[in-house]
Amino acid sequence: MTLVAFQPTSKGAPSRRGVKPRREGGIASYFFVAGYTVLLVAFGIFPTCYAIYLAFTNDRGQFAGVNQFSKVARDYRFLPAFENIAVYLVMWLVLLVVMTVLAAVALRSWVRPGMSSLLRFLFYLPGALAGVASVLVWLFMLDPDVSPAGKLLRALGDNSFAATLNPSHLPVIFVLIAFWTGAGGWIVVMYGALNNIPDEVLEAARMDGAGRWQTARQIQIPMIRKWITYMSILAFAAGTQLFIEPQLLQTASLGRVSSTWSPNQLAYVYAFQQGDFNGAAAISIFLLVLGLACAGVLVTRSALFKLEDQ
Amino acid sequence: MGLVMAALALFFVLPVIWLLLAPSKTADQVVHNWPLSFGSFSQIGHAWSHLMSFQNHAMLKWLRNSAIYSGGSLILTLITSVPAGYALALTRFRGRTTLLVVTLITMIMPSATLVLPIFLEINQFHLIGTIWSVILPFSFYPFGVYLVYIYFATSLPRDIIAAARVDGCSEWQVFAHIALPLARPVIALVAFFSFVGNWNNFFLPYLVLPNSDQFPVQVGLNQLLSSTPSFNPVAGAGLNITIPELALAIIVAILPVLVLFLFSQRALVSGMLAGSTKG
Amino acid sequence: MKAFRSPNRNAGARPARAIAVLVVVALALAGCASAKQSTSSAGAGAFKPVTQDASAKITVWTDSTRLPEVQQYQKLHPSAKLNIVTYDGGADGSTYLQSKIQLFDRAGKGWPDVVFGSPTDVTWASQPTNPSAVPFAAPLDESLVPKATLDNFAKGSLSPCQYNGHTYCMRNDIAQVVLWYNKTLLDGWGYQVPTTWPEYQALGLKIAKEHPGYLVGAVGDTNSQESYFWSSQCPAFQLTDPTTLRVNLQDPRCTRTASLLDSLISAKAVSTQGFFSQGFAKDSASKVAMAYGPSWYGQYLFNAAFKTPAGQIAAAAPLTWPGDSSPATGNVGGGLWMISSHSANLKAATDVVTWLTTSDANQGSAPTYPAYGPAAKTWLANPVNKKYFATDISSVFQQAANEVWTGWSNTKFSDATAWSSIVLPGLTSGKSLTSLLPSWQKAISNEAKVNGYKVTNQ
Repeated sequence: MTLVAFQPTSKGAPSRRGVKPRREGGIASYFFVAGYTVLLVAFGIFPTCYAIYLAFTNDRGQFAGVNQFSKVARDYRFLPAFENIAVYLVMWLVLLVVMTVLAAVALRSWVRPGMSSLLRFLFYLPGALAGVASVLVWLFMLDPDVSPAGKLLRALGDNSFAATLNPSHLPVIFVLIAFWTGAGGWIVVMYGALNNIPDEVLEAARMDGAGRWQTARQIQIPMIRKWITYMSILAFAAGTQLFIEPQLLQTASLGRVSSTWSPNQLAYVYAFQQGDFNGAAAISIFLLVLGLACAGVLVTRSALFKLEDQ
Repeated sequence: MGLVMAALALFFVLPVIWLLLAPSKTADQVVHNWPLSFGSFSQIGHAWSHLMSFQNHAMLKWLRNSAIYSGGSLILTLITSVPAGYALALTRFRGRTTLLVVTLITMIMPSATLVLPIFLEINQFHLIGTIWSVILPFSFYPFGVYLVYIYFATSLPRDIIAAARVDGCSEWQVFAHIALPLARPVIALVAFFSFVGNWNNFFLPYLVLPNSDQFPVQVGLNQLLSSTPSFNPVAGAGLNITIPELALAIIVAILPVLVLFLFSQRALVSGMLAGSTKG
Repeated sequence: MKAFRSPNRNAGARPARAIAVLVVVALALAGCASAKQSTSSAGAGAFKPVTQDASAKITVWTDSTRLPEVQQYQKLHPSAKLNIVTYDGGADGSTYLQSKIQLFDRAGKGWPDVVFGSPTDVTWASQPTNPSAVPFAAPLDESLVPKATLDNFAKGSLSPCQYNGHTYCMRNDIAQVVLWYNKTLLDGWGYQVPTTWPEYQALGLKIAKEHPGYLVGAVGDTNSQESYFWSSQCPAFQLTDPTTLRVNLQDPRCTRTASLLDSLISAKAVSTQGFFSQGFAKDSASKVAMAYGPSWYGQYLFNAAFKTPAGQIAAAAPLTWPGDSSPATGNVGGGLWMISSHSANLKAATDVVTWLTTSDANQGSAPTYPAYGPAAKTWLANPVNKKYFATDISSVFQQAANEVWTGWSNTKFSDATAWSSIVLPGLTSGKSLTSLLPSWQKAISNEAKVNGYKVTNQ
């Protein structure tokens, strides 16, 4: 891979705009971007607009103002779903940030290189089981009868699959599943980011008598702070969209897990059981706004993305 | 610190090992034997034949569907995103920055955000139940466009392009003869991310495909879970799909992605950092 | 970055402000319409079949339990062209079928021709899922199934199938609740089989004391409420008229059952795990002295899942409460078959369903008690169905079938959802049933309101 990096730390290069308006490519440019633009409009912009349209109308096509929003917000399942997600997100973000940074720093500076690359590979591998597969695997991990950690579960008082699936345990369970599939990839990425810190900088710190902890705290972590923010925002945005995990647990637990545990599930129920697409769209808009806000913050406030060429 | 690393390693690896061992045992052995014991190879064969006989080789059908959906959308993704990324990086046209910003925003939004709106749209256009209802939304891949854009913006000297234009190359020739041959690494990168993401996608096909013949394997796994006795010991008493078969189904379902993962750690890093990793 | 953003700031802000103004104006001007869903006009005209094709292949959706029966049909009718698909069968409050039919309605194609479902499924299948759709279930009484056949079903067994004067399904089985007991165990201990609830409670407490570890019941299944609360005539799901649901769990007929079970649960004579939960068969199968549950417990639970040897299990008549004027019992499941109104081969579809639900060849040896009268007689006369049991179960089954209480209504939502998601986790974490009644009532009421019912808690 010969991608020359834009360093996260680099300042935006001076703009060419205003120097001299250039026309490179001309008409042909439109031809190059045409296919993608069609897809972008069809599956990015149009569905967003259509969802907004549905959320502000009723099923007779009449303008309903904010009535759809207040209807779904008053639904007795609405607040619990968002509460569930909030609890989950707090736990997930804390665990993710602490553990990935800790692991990445440790792998970079504490562990022998050979061991480090083996560990990175092992951490990263479960990422291949993202989605349904990971939930199915964890269904077994959580069943004390078959789990290799059965003793641990029993020690925690979970003597049966049903006991493990106590509603108050669910956020922890989803955090575990998300961490198992997602954290490894981030550890590897963080490690990569740490690797971009020049050896001389670390060497200089060592000469100054900084220990490993100090180096980590004062040099390494600050230098990858942007990536930590990036990861947190992406993880936050993805976390708000939880669907498969509670949906599959609901199936496997024969209904002990609520079918409207997460907001996306509630939207699903609105659309497919109540046949109320407008209400479903209103819930989607709530989630869409969350996603858009995260994306907006990342794109405009961080220097992570390159919008102009050097 | 060593202890933390060991615990982490155990946490990540143990479920994988359990999963790989489970199909070698009978349902009874899975429950009664030591969770990490190995049964026998012949049992894997039994589990396989049980799995295959579920709904007349449904598993193979689902795998084939997954291949069609992921493969088809991969082709469309490459056809659309490589030229688009190239144009965004190396040409100037009206609306370029708008397109770039919108691309970035949609790229960062989690893919599940738009699934329900896309479903509503597909429903509006009466595409529910067609393969296009999966392939077309899958092909929209802003992250891929961004990767190509970054690649061309940083690694293809503008002077070469300018020189080619002076030599009388048409825009298409510049793209096809100069840019494209250099883009091989980034094409591989986009292909990896797109394929893995689409293969593991559940939400969209779950919503738009009503018929179990059309399911990709991820949705099929859900079907397998809900119509078999693995988690409902009595309701599915007539079927042979128990824990070992389900474990085998999981392994088979993720095999293509797993193989890619074995070789792709570096791709992940360079993709996410969109940039340099030393050594 | 700055350089990029600044030139665009004004350009970006202008449309945003314009939109904001527009929204405010629009809000102010328009008398906002209600967000309520339109109610689909029920009973949308006469049933019009699609163009028929006598050679069309038909798709049959079955649960895995009924799968062998459908395969048997195929075997006996080699010329029939079937595409057999297994799904969860609408069990345990699953809404899989409903979601999929919604999708097929939107797609305008793909419907299965024949489906196995639960009584809850008929409530939505007999009505259109959206104003432009046709109800999924075909009215069987209109030219598909002879009236004489429908009349032969056990009294009341087709009532979940009926809507607006039409019959939309054929009942596969009745699942009347009876008292199951292990005769070998009780005889060995020298105990009498109880006939009333107080006797059941007393015996349960006695067994808990004298034979710790043995069980007289379990409440942890998704359908345990139907075994216990339905049998007790608890008004948990009582439609007083088609749109008003009475949910009153503080009624003495609910609280008496709750406190009876609480005493048995705390004595560890009744398990808060389900009979069908994972691990139960492994840990406690041989320890079940009594079980209050549906007629299919015999074959499914004791024979198939628990592998209790033949000649031990017996059934007794439903328990009674002292003071209740008429005996009553519950009903757990009792699946049914529906035919799609979109089927291009109604004849073949009807033939499958008729064979499955009424033929002696199928029902005579079915694992469940047939809803179809003549088949039930054959079933009772078939020694195969009885040889597993220690006593003749015929009279018990017949009696119980006539005692199913009709005050537990078939609602548009499953009675399993609130029980499974509210009561069962509470029980697992050690709360008492009595203390869970208010939150159960609240959950049912909420669900009922969302499904368009008026709710009364009186």
